[in-house]
Amino acid sequence: MTRHLLAVAGILGAIFAPPWLTILCMGLLAFRYPAWEVLFIGLLTDFLWMPPGFFSPLPIFTITALILVWGLEPLRKEFLFS
Amino acid sequence: MNLYRQNNGLYRRWMPRSGRKRLFFATIFIIILFVFDAISGGKLRVLARGAGSSVWGLGVSVQESIHGSGFLSTRRGLISENTVLAEQIARLQERSAAYQMLKDENEVFREMLHVAGGVQGRDKKSGITAPIISSLRASSYGTFQVGAGFADSVAAGDLVLSAENFVIGRVAEADSHTSLVSGIFASGVFTDAVIRGVAVTVEGQGGGNARTTMPRLSEVAVGDAVISAVLGARGIGVVGNIAENSGSAYKSVNIYLPVNLSALKFVYIVKN
Repeated sequence: MTRHLLAVAGILGAIFAPPWLTILCMGLLAFRYPAWEVLFIGLLTDFLWMPPGFFSPLPIFTITALILVWGLEPLRKEFLFS
Repeated sequence: MNLYRQNNGLYRRWMPRSGRKRLFFATIFIIILFVFDAISGGKLRVLARGAGSSVWGLGVSVQESIHGSGFLSTRRGLISENTVLAEQIARLQERSAAYQMLKDENEVFREMLHVAGGVQGRDKKSGITAPIISSLRASSYGTFQVGAGFADSVAAGDLVLSAENFVIGRVAEADSHTSLVSGIFASGVFTDAVIRGVAVTVEGQGGGNARTTMPRLSEVAVGDAVISAVLGARGIGVVGNIAENSGSAYKSVNIYLPVNLSALKFVYIVKN
């Protein structure tokens, strides 16, 4: 339930709210769950707002999502989060 | 002594391998989506923006329905009063800056003994008004969407103006009926401009703010208009703060856009 709420908040945050809220939702999701939703929220945010150009500017939300999802994997393992 | 890690069993039970598998396949999938979007010239972005602006429109209509129902009217009354006052302040600031800009421009014209042709009037004939169809604060790239696209003769590079002819941004990408606008003061955007006759390069800081440096001996005051010749001699901001260091040959000038972006509902798009 929490996972779904955070995912929906992240998606709506990407459309309505300041960027820090989306990042917060992505961080909480990635910290607690092995959440593939984080990757899609990051990609959606970049698709919505990023000006045209291949890697110019850098797709920071997609990159952040990848770092969060895979970077927090050892931490999740250590704290036995499911 | 049992050296087996006690939590291994728990981990296997609580964290099924399918979680990591899903994560792995999702990673591959988003990389494929990203590459496909780049190859197809942004087709997925257009879809995402279309869906985003529809959700935004839905959100706005829900908000208006709640407003209309009288729910939370006291709080709403205070908020609307606050918004109106903020809008009034922003409008006055914008008008004051526009007046200053016109005054400077008039002086230049007088010096040149030319009659002003009225750049503003000419542009207004060739431009269109477009609604803002996205949040102005949700983007970390300093972008927002407007409800006019190449079907309305909008093209990448067109200028986006406020009611008082201040440049807010440039069209970065035009779809059929919507366009993505990149703010003139988006983070990392550089614009050539003039402040009191001194040529400067203004660096965007995001949130309608920018900064530049000027020679220490140059005359500049708070409230001076910042005009960009490359953007059709239009105003792009107003000097908000000047920081001087006696040891430096330059002074740091902070600039802001005298437009209340959060209250903005329509913009004007003209060819550059």
